[in-house]
Amino acid sequence: MDAGALAVAALPAFIASAVEFVEATTIILAVGVTRGWRAPLYGTIAAALTLAVIIALLGVTIVTVVPEHALKAFVGALLLLFGLRWLRKAVLRFAGIVALHDEERIYLEEVAELKAQGLKKSGFDRIGAIVAYKAVLLEGTEVAFIVIAFGAGGQNALTAAVLGAIAAGILVIALGVLLRQPLTMIPENWMKFGVGAILSAFGVFWFAEGLGVAWAGDALSILPILGVFLAASWLSVRMLKVMLPHGAEVTAKSV
Amino acid sequence: MSSLVGVWEAIWGLLVEDGSLAVGIVVALAITWVAAAVLPEANRDMIGWLLLVMLTLLVLFNMMAAGRKARRSTRTP
Repeated sequence: MDAGALAVAALPAFIASAVEFVEATTIILAVGVTRGWRAPLYGTIAAALTLAVIIALLGVTIVTVVPEHALKAFVGALLLLFGLRWLRKAVLRFAGIVALHDEERIYLEEVAELKAQGLKKSGFDRIGAIVAYKAVLLEGTEVAFIVIAFGAGGQNALTAAVLGAIAAGILVIALGVLLRQPLTMIPENWMKFGVGAILSAFGVFWFAEGLGVAWAGDALSILPILGVFLAASWLSVRMLKVMLPHGAEVTAKSV
Repeated sequence: MSSLVGVWEAIWGLLVEDGSLAVGIVVALAITWVAAAVLPEANRDMIGWLLLVMLTLLVLFNMMAAGRKARRSTRTP
């Protein structure tokens, strides 16, 4: 695979992973700015190690023990649960039922909460480390899902997905370190919408392949599947906007 | 221990946020699996599209339900 083809193959994983890295960076910045950088650094390293152990144990076991078809079906099922959940939330956000994801607001809320917890004058900041650990572990798990989704097609696809995720991580962390503020310039809501649809399309493709289906056009059939999910999402946004009265204040906490 | 429970709940939440959507997905997958087992070889390649149709309808109905729920809890200013 030449560099150009590799870059194209790595692009979906890069975009999807960037969203997750932005969310983790927001929390770590909030912890670092309010409570110092030592504890979130330890929390981040501990979470990265936990993720590495989980992926090494589970990943290697699954890949070596589970037959290829069953593995594809399993990955497809997980992707559908994960991707459609993202897509649902994105539709609700664009329809105005749920507030749009706002890194600035999340950052300020996190800072206020961390300040309210108080800071010990001496000793290790356990709270800061735990908050960073949880954020990195959670977003890291989502990155792992994303890499599996885009890498399930074989060694080249996996290499591209891993490189895409690593590049996204380096870029987002570098931006976070340079700017020392939430990365609000990244259009997260649109990216999440697209990524939800892409993950769902890959989920349908892999699950059916796992059951022995031969798609006409092979991986190219992901494009029409993606088109159907995007069309259904657009239709859903339109439908919800019609259903809800204009200018109404939605108080639903859980829809 | 409570932080580990929190981590587990967060990871579980990655997959299941809306129970009815998650159950609908599992049902659609089960129907697809059964269809793959019982359909003759010549028709098996259609089941991918069958799954897509079921999931598309699921998304639309789930959104309709969410819209109804939001409308019930809506206050006009």
